[in-house]
Amino acid sequence: MNATNPDQINVILATDCGSTTTKAILIEKIDGHYRQTYRGEAPTTVEQPVADVTAGVINAATEVGELAGRRLVDEQGQLIRPVKPAGEGQPAEGCDIYISTSSAGGGLQMLVTGVVREMTAASAKRAALGAGAIVMDVIASNDRRKPHEQIQRIRELRPDMILMSGGTDGGTVEHVVRIAELIAPAKPQPRFGSGYRMPLIYAGNKEAAGLVREVFDDTVELSVVDNIRPVLERENLGPARDRIHDLFLEHVMAHAPGYDKLIAWTDAPIMPTPGAVGDILQQIAKARGINVVGVDIGGATTDVFSVFDGADGNPVFNRTVSANLGMSYSISNVCAETGMPNVLRWVHFDMDERELRNRVKNKMIRPTTIPQTLEALVFEQAVAREALRLAYIQHREFATTLKGVQQQRTVGDTFSQQKGGQSIVDNMKLDLLVASGGVLSHAPRMEQTAAMLIDAFEPEGVTELAKDSIFMMPHLGVLASVHPQAALEVFERDCLIYLGTCVAAKGRAKAGKNCFRYEISGEPINERGEMACGEIRRFPLSIEETAQIVIEPARGFDVGGGPGKRIEREVRGGEVGLILDARGRPLELPEDRDNCRSRVERWSRDLRLYSE
Amino acid sequence: MGDRGAGERFGVFGLKCEISDMRFQISDLKCQISRLRGAVRRLLVCWGALFWLLGLTGAGADAQEPPRPVSDVVAVDHPNDVGTAVDVSWTLSPDDKPNDEPIPDPNAVPSLLSGYHILRKQPGEESFVLVGKQSAQAGEFTDRKKVVRGEPYLYQVVAVGPGGTSAGVETAEAVTPVRGLFRTDRGWLAVILLLICGAVVAFIVVAKSGRELFIRKIPGLEAVDEAVGRATEMGRTCLFVPGILDINDIQTVAGITVLSHVASLTAEFGARLEVPTSRSLVMTTARETVAAAYLAEGRPDAYREDDIYYLTDEQFGYVASVTSKMMQEKPAACFYMGSFYAESLILAETGNAVGAIQVAGTAQPSQLPFFVAACDYTLIGEEFFAASAYLSGEPVQLGSLRGQDVGKMLVASLLIVGCVAATWASVTGSASANAVVTFLQNNVLGRGGFLP
Repeated sequence: MNATNPDQINVILATDCGSTTTKAILIEKIDGHYRQTYRGEAPTTVEQPVADVTAGVINAATEVGELAGRRLVDEQGQLIRPVKPAGEGQPAEGCDIYISTSSAGGGLQMLVTGVVREMTAASAKRAALGAGAIVMDVIASNDRRKPHEQIQRIRELRPDMILMSGGTDGGTVEHVVRIAELIAPAKPQPRFGSGYRMPLIYAGNKEAAGLVREVFDDTVELSVVDNIRPVLERENLGPARDRIHDLFLEHVMAHAPGYDKLIAWTDAPIMPTPGAVGDILQQIAKARGINVVGVDIGGATTDVFSVFDGADGNPVFNRTVSANLGMSYSISNVCAETGMPNVLRWVHFDMDERELRNRVKNKMIRPTTIPQTLEALVFEQAVAREALRLAYIQHREFATTLKGVQQQRTVGDTFSQQKGGQSIVDNMKLDLLVASGGVLSHAPRMEQTAAMLIDAFEPEGVTELAKDSIFMMPHLGVLASVHPQAALEVFERDCLIYLGTCVAAKGRAKAGKNCFRYEISGEPINERGEMACGEIRRFPLSIEETAQIVIEPARGFDVGGGPGKRIEREVRGGEVGLILDARGRPLELPEDRDNCRSRVERWSRDLRLYSE
Repeated sequence: MGDRGAGERFGVFGLKCEISDMRFQISDLKCQISRLRGAVRRLLVCWGALFWLLGLTGAGADAQEPPRPVSDVVAVDHPNDVGTAVDVSWTLSPDDKPNDEPIPDPNAVPSLLSGYHILRKQPGEESFVLVGKQSAQAGEFTDRKKVVRGEPYLYQVVAVGPGGTSAGVETAEAVTPVRGLFRTDRGWLAVILLLICGAVVAFIVVAKSGRELFIRKIPGLEAVDEAVGRATEMGRTCLFVPGILDINDIQTVAGITVLSHVASLTAEFGARLEVPTSRSLVMTTARETVAAAYLAEGRPDAYREDDIYYLTDEQFGYVASVTSKMMQEKPAACFYMGSFYAESLILAETGNAVGAIQVAGTAQPSQLPFFVAACDYTLIGEEFFAASAYLSGEPVQLGSLRGQDVGKMLVASLLIVGCVAATWASVTGSASANAVVTFLQNNVLGRGGFLP
């Protein structure tokens, strides 16, 4: 890795090595600003017959180079670095830095342990997920499994590494050692390469570290880091996350085909793809001082990321992976979990249930197919709404304040004693909602993406909607570790496609009654009027435009200022524009199928989702 | 004599005593004469009045006539009882006239009737026996004097006056008191009972059918997991205080129910549970409960009987011991579930000081503010009693809980309706509002309904 001065970085090549494709982007400094200029894609070559991930990287980089008219790969199949300025008749060549993320081969898979499932085990899970891992299982003292069942489970799993936590500093030793004594005899085998020792990170009670060390033999590579919960009132995820990243490179990546070469090429440590996405969202939330939710819906899983202010006012990052919610491999599970009637409520025309089931199974066995008819598209987007909704519910349940913390009360709390572990995800405080993943990013119309986000996440108050244009967030996440300014500039200018702003009223809507009054003033539009409950309306407001809005909600409705209180804001436009949503929160659809269909049809017409 | 001797012996002081003694004797004599004079005066006045009365009425001893008899004597079984009373009624004697004038007219003829005697006998018996008296102007009497259910009785009513007694008038038929199946005068109580019990039964049936009954979440009970979890992570004990009253107190019983839940969790988490008690019987009950909970969790080996112990019956001795234990061992979770008095704040403040998550539950209104201020979570009154239903999730208990809620809603709505109607009636003088208030007072809220 080359240590480069950020001021001298003008051309950046970034790749994301996914399971199927390797995506490369080129970022160049143009007129003093960093811009993403070209993008290339090639099949990932981690599997046989090539079995060398760098081959896919070279292919993708070559494509980008051809598009950019700039040679990035030399004759020996090596990336050209640093930049060679243009000479006589010779265009400029190479890049200043090369960075990469990876989720090839299923990404980073981890086993997590803790003493109490909702306390240290939950913190360990947060650390693992935040580092971009997939958590295969959580072993805890109160997971209601017998010791032999726990040992059996550990044996069955083949994680890339194990994160052990438990006990506060000076807290329980007995429980921690007991869990270590479950892992040691189970002798978990690593997923890649039988020759290397299973990496195990111990981030629990420091007083138990010595005893834990005694329990494990040489089959485990034990590394001890600071306690993840030194006291129950505070979470200290940083050291454990950093160690996960280190071990990911040292052990997991080093044993995947070609990764040793790739590690040598990169100018910053390779990061797991979801970890990089989380990093860039945190950077954005910090830089703009906002609360952000990001979602990446894939074929098998759906990742939800959020950055919200925690109980102490500091931003808290959370990530969840809904392993069984996706649009192809997991589509059957989505339908089973939510039920076909829930999927159908988003469809504005009659559909035969048998036909629907056929569609679901076809999508599952042919995951790469894309909808060929309008019916197929509407159905797929209905499933996406439900998958996103379920994933977000899971995320809200996971992203909570810390449990096991002593509360300070006054007599005023007599009838309003809030339980610990409340969700920190508050849709009213949400400022930016970012979408990525095929069904969202590649929807034929931007309005459809916006509608899917609004229906699934039910943002309240004023929320900006955006989508990741070409799933660039992972590249920018790792770039942020080298050149934060470049990452932020590209994120704002090229990564995000702003769809517009959604203004939604919170409250139970009774059809026909007034929900709120609005006044929109700006260069392109000057409108005022009333929104009746159950209505949704779109006003064109392009990306570069802003407008001043004044919203006066009716009694019982809240748009961010409090129930019945007016707000005045400047809102940003986008590809879709400004959306006023008076359908109420929580969003309720009529149970009667005919009513539901006619209502969804009206919404679809108002937003011009499928027809002009 | 002795006194005088003493006076002579003591000189001037003795002489003074003698003179004083003589004065007392003279005074006594004067009093006696005065009393005699008063008696003679009163005798003269009485005789004068007697002669005046005799002269005024013109009646001698031969003018005293007995009152005329009553008529229509009827005896019926007293309704709404177990057959131990008989109602006797009659038409008043013609001589029983009301004297409504506030100041008796000195010229008026005095009534010949002073009251009625009610006599009773059983068929076959020779003579009637007096069972009660009733004053003039009263035409009914309830006989409760050793009335035996199922035995026939005949009644006779005799009018009584200064001139003697009238002829007795008997009932035509014998009356036999029987047990009444229903108290028709408590109809509203029956309606209320039916509503509440019906609701309880209905909700139990609904719960048993598998339909989920909504029970409001009680943060205090949900926080028990969190508190035990904290103790586990910190490697410290959980302290459970079941109040200072004995096992016959309902709050202690409710506390023991929560103890069972806490014990299940400590068994599951592998945390240590300590239960100091101030009553020996509570200790025994707590031991049984905790042992059963550990067994149910499959951890009988983890049960430690010595951790559930008796300290003292003495209120402050107990508190001193518990708080001292808290300061030494610094438990991470403290539960106060039962009946508490002055010790509530001492315990809760100590627990707060050692950094424990504290969950309290009591039905003592005076102690609730202390618990609310010093503890993390407090179960207030009814929540505390609802704990067992909430924790167990059993259909019967959940149904009962919901049924009781219906009863409370009924009472609350009656209160609201009554208050609104009474206010409306007093402000506007509305007759209909007044009628509502009267109806409620006399029926639902009166002896027919809620009044015992």
